[in-house]
Amino acid sequence: MRRRMRGVAVVAVALTSALSLAACAKDSGNSSNNNNASGNPSSGCKLADKPAAAPAGSTSADAGGKVDGSALKIGLAYDIGGRGDGSFNDAAAAGLDKAISDMGVKKDNTKELTASANESPADKETRLRQLATGGYNPVITVGFAYADALKKVAAEFPGTKFAIVDATVDGAANVTPLTFTEEQGSFLVGVAAAYKSKGCHIGFVGGVDVPLIQKFQAGFAQGAKAAAPDIKIESKYISPAGDFSGFQDPNKGNVVTKGELDAGADVVYQAAGKSGEGVFAAAKAANKLAIGVDSDQYNQPTVAANKDVIITSMVKRVDVAVYDFIRAFAKNDLTTVPKVFDLKADGVGYATSGGKIDDIKDVLEAYKAQIVAGKITVSATPTK
Amino acid sequence: MTTMTSNPAAAPLTVAVPPRRRKLPGWASGMIWVALAVAVLTTASYLTGVPQLTSSGTTQTAVVLALPILLAGLGGLWSERAGVVNIGLEGMMIFGTWGAAYGGYYWGPWAGLACAAAFGALGGLVHAIATVTFGVNHIVSGVAMNLLGAGIAKYLSTLIFEPLSHNPRSSPTVPKFDTYSASGLSDWLQQLEQQQRVGISDVAGLLRGIVTGVSPMTMVTIALVPITFLVLWRTRFGLRLRSCGENPVAAESLGVNVYLHKYVAVIASGALAGMAGAALVLNPGQSGYLEGQTNGRGYIGLAAMIFGNWRPGGLLGGAALFGYSDGLQLSSGGKTVLALIYGAVLLLAVLVIVQLVRRKWLAASVGFVAAGGLYAVYWSVDSLPTEFTPYLPHFVTLIVLTVASQRLRPPAADGFIYRRGQGD
Repeated sequence: MRRRMRGVAVVAVALTSALSLAACAKDSGNSSNNNNASGNPSSGCKLADKPAAAPAGSTSADAGGKVDGSALKIGLAYDIGGRGDGSFNDAAAAGLDKAISDMGVKKDNTKELTASANESPADKETRLRQLATGGYNPVITVGFAYADALKKVAAEFPGTKFAIVDATVDGAANVTPLTFTEEQGSFLVGVAAAYKSKGCHIGFVGGVDVPLIQKFQAGFAQGAKAAAPDIKIESKYISPAGDFSGFQDPNKGNVVTKGELDAGADVVYQAAGKSGEGVFAAAKAANKLAIGVDSDQYNQPTVAANKDVIITSMVKRVDVAVYDFIRAFAKNDLTTVPKVFDLKADGVGYATSGGKIDDIKDVLEAYKAQIVAGKITVSATPTK
Repeated sequence: MTTMTSNPAAAPLTVAVPPRRRKLPGWASGMIWVALAVAVLTTASYLTGVPQLTSSGTTQTAVVLALPILLAGLGGLWSERAGVVNIGLEGMMIFGTWGAAYGGYYWGPWAGLACAAAFGALGGLVHAIATVTFGVNHIVSGVAMNLLGAGIAKYLSTLIFEPLSHNPRSSPTVPKFDTYSASGLSDWLQQLEQQQRVGISDVAGLLRGIVTGVSPMTMVTIALVPITFLVLWRTRFGLRLRSCGENPVAAESLGVNVYLHKYVAVIASGALAGMAGAALVLNPGQSGYLEGQTNGRGYIGLAAMIFGNWRPGGLLGGAALFGYSDGLQLSSGGKTVLALIYGAVLLLAVLVIVQLVRRKWLAASVGFVAAGGLYAVYWSVDSLPTEFTPYLPHFVTLIVLTVASQRLRPPAADGFIYRRGQGD
C-alpha cells in the first residue's frame, strides 16, 4: 500500500473505533426523548369555566323492524386507502358489514373497488360505470373526490341510486348526499385535548389541505380555544391540495408528528386516513398522546400496537350513514335518511374506549349539549 | 519517441504541457463544502432566530429521509459506471419494499434486509438479461422494469399479504430495527444544543442528529459509500467495471469480460435499489409495505447521482441536501422554510464572491440575480405559503445544481448498447 493510503487508512480506522467506543448504547425507547427545551412544568392549561351540565336527555333511537336486504346488489367505491385504512374507509366498510349481518345482504352480491392515490378523474368515472353497468344498485361512493365523476355517471344511469359520503351533487335526483358536521365532533375532541395537554400545547396533522380536512382543523382549534383560551396549536398538512398521497403515507405522517412533538405539542389530533398510523407511532415513540379520527381507533386492529397513546377518537359515523342508506333503500323510502348527520343526529361524536377521558366526560357532554342547543356554533372554516 | 534519423517535420506535434495546478483531493473539497454549508446554516439560524434549521430533530429526520435516495443513487451509480442506464430503479425499489416486508415479517429485520436485496437483485437480473444479452434499449427496459415492479408487487401483496393483514394494499406490521445512540456523546451534545449559543449549539445539534437514534440500516448505508468508492476506484475489478462503461470495445480488446462485468454491475445496482426499499420499510417510524410507498424516490436517486457527477461522495452530498430540505419542510412550518431561503441567499452571496474572484462574470451575475430574487421572496412574506413548501427539496436541488456550475461528465459509453465482438 502506498504511504499516503496507509496514513489515510490508519486515520479512518482510528476514527471509526473511537466513535464506536463512544458508548454506542441501544435505545430503550424512553431515555432522552421527553426533555423539552421549554421546561414548562406539567401543570396543564389554564382552563375556562365549563358550561352548565348537560340535561339527562335521550338520544333518538331508530325504531324500525327487520328489513330484508337479501335481494340487494350493493356496489361500494372507496376512497384512497380502501378497506384496512383503520379510519375513514373502514367505517364505511363496517356499515356494509353490518348490512350483511343484519339485513341478510349476501356478500357475493357486493362489490368493493378502491381509488389509488393520484389517479386521473377518468379512472374514477370508469370505476363508477363499472359498478353501475354490473347491475349494482345502490352504488355508494365514499369520499368527496368522487363528486365530479358521480355528477357525470349519475346522469348516465338514472335508474341506479347513488350515495356519496362527504359531498353533495347538485341537480341529480338519484344521488343521496351523506354529509357530516365534522367540525362539531372535532370541537369536542379539541376540548378533550385542552384538558389532557400538560404543556398547554397541542397539534393537528391533516392529510391533504382540502376544505373537508380544514373542517376538522377548524373545529379542533375552536374547541381547544373554548376550553383553554391561551392554548398553542401547531397544525400541518402532509400534502397540499391536489396531491392526495397525504392520505396514504404513514412515513410522512410520522415525520410531521415528530416535528410537532419536538416543537412542544403533547396531544396530536390526526385527520389523515392511513397516514394516521405514522402519527400514532411517533406519539408512542415520544411518550405523548394522540387522538384518532373517523373510526374508534382504540379498537382498530391496524393500529393496535400503539393503542395506549390514543385517548379518544372523533367518531364519524360513516358506518351508521351507510347502513341507514342501505336500509332506507331496501324499504324503498330514501326520505328517511337524515339531511345532515350532525351532532344532534348522533352522526359525529367522540369515543370513550380505553377509559382515558372518563374524568372529563361531564365537561364534554356539557359542551355537546351547548352545541346541540345551538348556544355554540362551530364554524367550518379555520381562522388563518 | 521518434529518433533523430527521421524527418523532424514529420515528427508528431507535441504541445507544451501546461503546469498542473495542485488540485484538492476529492475528500478535502467535500469537507470544505460541508464546512461552508454548516457555516451558512449556523449564520442563517442565528440571524433569523429559527433554531430548527440546525436542531437534532431535523437532522435525524433528514438522515432517515436521505437513506432511500442515497441507496437508490448508489444503485444507479454502479449500473451507469458499467455503461448500463438503469431507469428501473423505482421498480427494483418496489421489489425491495415487498421483499423487506416479507422477510421482515417472517424472520426479522436483518432477514428482511437480505430478502429486499435479493428481490431487488432479481429485478436487476431481468434488466441485465434484457439490456446486456438481448441488447434492448436501456431506457425502454428500465421503464418496463418500473411497470413490472409495481404490478408484481401488487399481485404478490394481494396473494400473500391480504390473508395476513386483511388489506391487499399493505403488509402486516413488520418488526423494525432497534435504534442505537452514542449515549454519552449524545447527552453532552444535547446540553450544548439547549444552551443555544451561537455556532456551538448549531454544530452540536447537527452532530447529535447523526449519532442519536441511528439504526443499523443507516450504518450499513453510510458504510456502503466508502466501500463503493474503494471497490470501484481502488481495485482491479472496479477498474475493469469502469472501463466497460467508458470504452467497452477497448476493454474487450484487453481481455476484460465485458458482459460479465455489466451483469455484476446491474445485479448489484438492483440489490442496492432493493435495499433502498428496505430503508423505507425497516427503519423505525415507518410502517410495513404499503402500495405506492416509493413515490418517485428512484428517480430522485438518479437525480442525486447526476448531481454528484457519478461519484459516491457527490451522491452523498446530493442525497443529504435533498433529505435535509425534505425533512425540514415536513417537520417544521413555513417560517423555517423561509429561514432556509435566507440561508440560501447567504450561500449564493458566498458563491457569487467566489465566481467574481475567478473572474467568471456571467456566473457571478446570474448568481447575484438569483440571490436578489430569493431575498425579495424572503422579505415580502411572513411565512412561505403551504402550497410551496412540499416542493422545497426540488427547488433547493435545482438552485444548487444551477449555481455550482460543475461540468458534469457521465461515463463515456453510458447507454451504449454493446454487442460482443463489436470492435472488430
